[in-house]
Amino acid sequence: MDYSRRGIQGNSVSGYVQGSPPDQDGLVDENTILVQRTLRSGQSIRYNGNVVVLGDVNPGAEVTASGNVIVMGALRGLVHAGAGGDENAVVLAFRLRPTQLRIANHITRPPDNEEVDADLPEMARIKDGVVTIEAFQAGGERQGR
Amino acid sequence: MSEVIVVTSGKGGVGKTTTTANIGTGLAAKGYKVVLVDADIGLRNLDVVLGLENRIVYDIVDVTSGNCRLRQALIKDKRLDGLHLLPAAQTKDKTAVSPDQMRDLCEELKKEFEFVIIDCPAGIEQGFRNAIAGAEKAVVVTTPEVSAVRDADRIIGLLEAAELREPKLIINRIRPRMVRQGDMMSIEDIIDILAVDLLGVIPEDEMIVITTNRGEAVVLDQNSKSGQAYRNITRRILNEDVPMMNLEDEGGFFKRFKKIIGLK
Repeated sequence: MDYSRRGIQGNSVSGYVQGSPPDQDGLVDENTILVQRTLRSGQSIRYNGNVVVLGDVNPGAEVTASGNVIVMGALRGLVHAGAGGDENAVVLAFRLRPTQLRIANHITRPPDNEEVDADLPEMARIKDGVVTIEAFQAGGERQGR
Repeated sequence: MSEVIVVTSGKGGVGKTTTTANIGTGLAAKGYKVVLVDADIGLRNLDVVLGLENRIVYDIVDVTSGNCRLRQALIKDKRLDGLHLLPAAQTKDKTAVSPDQMRDLCEELKKEFEFVIIDCPAGIEQGFRNAIAGAEKAVVVTTPEVSAVRDADRIIGLLEAAELREPKLIINRIRPRMVRQGDMMSIEDIIDILAVDLLGVIPEDEMIVITTNRGEAVVLDQNSKSGQAYRNITRRILNEDVPMMNLEDEGGFFKRFKKIIGLK
């Protein structure tokens, strides 16, 4: 799907519907948007559902989703998953290096003096009330949620 | 077959004007008919860098508003026959020209010149939109600083949105020794973020300052590395296959360099 031909406003796409947060059982079947390009500085995606980016999210770019965010590339910008308040939302990227990472109402940033350069896919999610980042394992405990 | 190329960067002070002057001079030195258009209305510089400031009678706003004919505003370079300048206005601002007028102007210039090179102002507002309106190709200049790379990324996004696909990248003012010590962003770091083709790399060089202040172009200086770098860029614009220059005498840096070129 080439979304850039529909509903592009300036440099951002908006499919986000204000209102009640999606109920959790609806998450699996939620709408998913496929972004087939790299998001550069100043570009943003807001979507009511899941977002999958086939490309990088560069510093200065923003991705906001009520569901999960998956980046098939390097995530260096700002990301907000579960923007409607869903604490089960996850962020997954081949190289997870966000400027800032938000899930539901939790806001985190990478530690200031730590240079973690794990070159493998990682997943961020809320675990016991804290945003945790771990290596992504296919078929792990709670996929699809 | 003529080309309209815009030289842009987003951030100021990274070397757009110097690059425009040198690419233009380089192409003209090879015998092509070239016109340089200064789109930085209100902050005109290109005429100063070329040493042509005292010859300006009419400017780009006079042309677009019909005060003079295009031919009257064009200034011939003092060294090269093929090189011409269309200067910016200094007493007006960016709103004095519209994107449509720029588009018409570029079409007009294309009839007479093989290369139309537009020096874009810094920023992403109307001056930028004017400068890219008539362009068919874009060259993005950046320096190895995070702020300049961030702005270049923004600009590349805006260029793509304006249907100017596949911009080419020039990395200016690189210091190989600092890169080797890990104190400066490397070419790979920059390409990793921007993901565009590299047109050339220009080392930090005092000769640029010297020639610019004299109103000359370093591209004509046979002894400096920056001059060589601009000559290589000129040849790449003419679709010649030129290997990336060795910026220092040791091999280590060059090997990494070749890796990037191999990726293309």
